[in-house]
Amino acid sequence: MTSSMNAPLLEVHDIRKIFVDRDYQTPVLKGVNFTLQRGEMVAMLGPSGSGKSTLLSILGTLMRPSSGSFRMLGRELTTLAEKELSDFRNQQIGFIFQYHHLLPDFTALENVMFPHAGRLWRETRAGRERAAMLLERVGLKDRMNYRATRLSGGQKQRVAIARALMNQPALVLADEPTGNLDRENADQAFGLMSEIQRETGTTFLLSTHDRELAERCERRIYIQGGVVVDQPQVVPGRSSLRVIAGDPLSVIDRTQPANAGGDRQRA
Amino acid sequence: MTFDYTMRFDLKVALRYLTSNRLQSALLIGGVAIAVTVFTFNAALINGLAEFQIDRVVGSSSHVTIEPATPRPAVAPAPEGTERLVVSQVALERREQIKQWRSVERIIETLPGVTGVSYNIVGTGLVTRGEQTLPVSLKGVEPARLSAIAPIDQTLVEGEARLGLNDVLIGRKLALDLGIGVGQPIFITSNQGRERTLTVRGLYSTGVDSLDGRLAYVNLDTARVMFDLPEGLTEIELKLADIYAARDIARQLADTTGLEAIAWMDRNQRLREALEGQGNSGNIIKMFTLITIIVGVASALLLTTFRRRPEIGIMRSFGISQRFVLSVFMLQGALIGIIGSLVGCFLGWGFSTLLASAGDGTRRLPVDPSLGQYDVALLLAAAASIAAALWPARAASRIDPVEAISQ
Ligand SMILES: Nc1ncnc2c1ncn2[C@@H]1O[C@H](COP(=O)(O)OP(=O)(O)O)[C@@H](O)[C@H]1O
Ligand SMILES: [Mg+2]
Repeated sequence: MTSSMNAPLLEVHDIRKIFVDRDYQTPVLKGVNFTLQRGEMVAMLGPSGSGKSTLLSILGTLMRPSSGSFRMLGRELTTLAEKELSDFRNQQIGFIFQYHHLLPDFTALENVMFPHAGRLWRETRAGRERAAMLLERVGLKDRMNYRATRLSGGQKQRVAIARALMNQPALVLADEPTGNLDRENADQAFGLMSEIQRETGTTFLLSTHDRELAERCERRIYIQGGVVVDQPQVVPGRSSLRVIAGDPLSVIDRTQPANAGGDRQRA
Repeated sequence: MTFDYTMRFDLKVALRYLTSNRLQSALLIGGVAIAVTVFTFNAALINGLAEFQIDRVVGSSSHVTIEPATPRPAVAPAPEGTERLVVSQVALERREQIKQWRSVERIIETLPGVTGVSYNIVGTGLVTRGEQTLPVSLKGVEPARLSAIAPIDQTLVEGEARLGLNDVLIGRKLALDLGIGVGQPIFITSNQGRERTLTVRGLYSTGVDSLDGRLAYVNLDTARVMFDLPEGLTEIELKLADIYAARDIARQLADTTGLEAIAWMDRNQRLREALEGQGNSGNIIKMFTLITIIVGVASALLLTTFRRRPEIGIMRSFGISQRFVLSVFMLQGALIGIIGSLVGCFLGWGFSTLLASAGDGTRRLPVDPSLGQYDVALLLAAAASIAAALWPARAASRIDPVEAISQ
C-alpha cells in the first residue's frame, strides 16, 4: 500500500445526477470533477439548492450518481453492490449532518459506539473504550451516560462528530455541520473538527455557508451551475451575484442570506 | 456490566426500542397474551370436554370388541340390467357365536398394550319382581374378570362384587326401578326361554345410564345355561393402555382371527362426530387468535418502522447493514411474541384452573388445564409474531437513507 500512500484519497470523474420525478427531470450535478488529497480539510461552498448535499450523499455512497465514477482509496465505488458499499461506508466514511441525528433512545456513549457495535453485532470493550476516549476528546467525558435527548444542541453535535470518527474513517463528510449552531457552538464544533483533522490526518470535506469557517479550511471548492470549480465565476447580468471587493466568498453570502432556509427564487 | 459486552447488539437495540415505548409494547404484548389466553383456554376446554366424553364412554366400556363374523348370504350374481332383492332371515336356532375362543385367547395374550380382557356371553332377557317386568341385558362374565372392562368393583355402592352361580349384580337405577335391594331374589327369563331365580349380590353405579339401568352381570357359567351356549362365547372385550391404538389392534385381530373386531370409536359414531365437530370449531377459534396476533403485531411494527425512519436512515448512513436493521425489527416481533405468549399461557392456565374446579373439588366446566396445548400455543404465537414482523422489518431494511435523513 506504500505506493498508493501518495495517491489522492478521492478522485471524482464527471459525476452527474439527474433527479427524475415522474416526467419531470432535475439535472443537479452536470459533470463534477475534483480530487481530495489525504489529510486535507476542504470546504465546499455553493448556494442553497446547488447540489452540495447531493454530491456529499453520492460521495458517501448513500446515493448512486446517474453517471460518472469516483475512486476512493484506490477502489472504484460506483460499481460496488449495496452490501459492499455498506461495509465500505462503515469503515472508511464518517457522516456529520446539519441536524445531529443522534439516536434518541441511546446514551451519548452508545451513540458513538453504534457504528462499531453494529458492524460486529456485538459491543466490545475496545469499542467502548474508543467511544469513551472520543467523547473525552470532544469534551463530553461527564456526559457519556446521558441520553442523547438530554444534551444541548452543541453537545449533541459534538457527540455526532465523535460518532463519525468511531471507526477511524479515511474521509469525514460534513453537510453544513454548524448550520444549526450558534456562533459559539459553531466555532467550538469547527475547532474540534480541524484539531482532529490535524491530529489524526483524517480527510474532511464539509459544506458550509459560513464564510468565516470556510476561510479557516485549507482549501475551498465551489459548486456552481452543477459543476465544481476552484473559483466562482461571476454571472453577468445578475446584480446580486456581484463579487464584492474581490472577495469570492461574498458571492455565497449574497445568494444565501443568514436566515434563508431553502431554495429562494432571486428577483 | 460484563453482560453488556456479550449481548448481541441487535438484541440490545430491539430491547431498547421496546422499552423506550413502554405503552405500545405493553399493549402489543397484552394483545398477544390475550390471544394466547384464548388459544390455550379454548384448547383446555375442547380437549377437556373431549377427554370427559371419551372417559365416560371408554372408561366403562371395551376399547376393542370381538364378535362373531357376520355371515354374508350367498347370492348368485344378478343378470345384466336387473337388480336382485335379497331378504335374509337370521336363524335364531343357529346363533352366531365364537367357538374357537381359546385360540383367540392365545392371540390376545401376544398383543402388547392390552390391559384387560373379558370373555362374555351376552343376551337379553326379562326380569320380573312382583308385578314389575323389565327388559334387561344379561352379561355373563368370569367372576375374576368382573371389573376388567367396567370398574364394577370400584363403583359398587351396596353389597359385594361377588358372582356365584346364583348371583346377579345390577345397577342401582335398575334396583330402584324394580324396588329391590341387596340379598333379595329376582326372577329372570332369558330370550332362550330359560328361567332362573338369582340373588342380588350387589348394586353398582357407574354413572352411565345404559349400564346402571339396563345391565345385569351374571356368572359366565350361569349365562351358558341360560343362553344354551355350552362352549362358545358371544363377545370378547379388550381394554387397552392406549385407547387410540384401538383401530390398529382391531384390524390386526380381525385379520388374524377372521372374526369381527370393532374399535370403540367405530362403535360410537355419535361420539366421534361430536368430537370432530368440537375439534373443528376449536381449530377455527385458534386460527383466529393467530390471525389477530399477525394483524396486531404487523400493524404496530409498521407504525414503529415509519416513526423510526430517520433513525434507520442514519444507521444506514454509518454503514449498519440491511441485515442488522432487519434483525432488529424481527427480534422485536419475536420478543413480543415470546413474552406475550408466555404471559398468555400463564393466564390461560390460570383461567382453566379457576374454571375447572368450583373450590369444593367438583367440576364447573369440563376444562382440563393440563390439556391447554401450551407448547403449541407458544410455538405458533411466536411464529406468528415473527412472521408478522417480516414485512415491517423488510420495509425498515429497505429505507432509503438519503430520503429518510432529509425528512
Ligand atoms: N430526491 C430528490 N428528487 C428531486 N429533486 C431533488 C431531490 N433531492 C434534491 N433535489 C433537488 O436537487 C437540488 C440540489 O439539492 P441539494 O443537493 O439538497 O442542494 P444543497 O445541499 O446545495 O442545498 C435542489 O434543487 C433539490 O430540489
Ligand atoms: Mg443541503
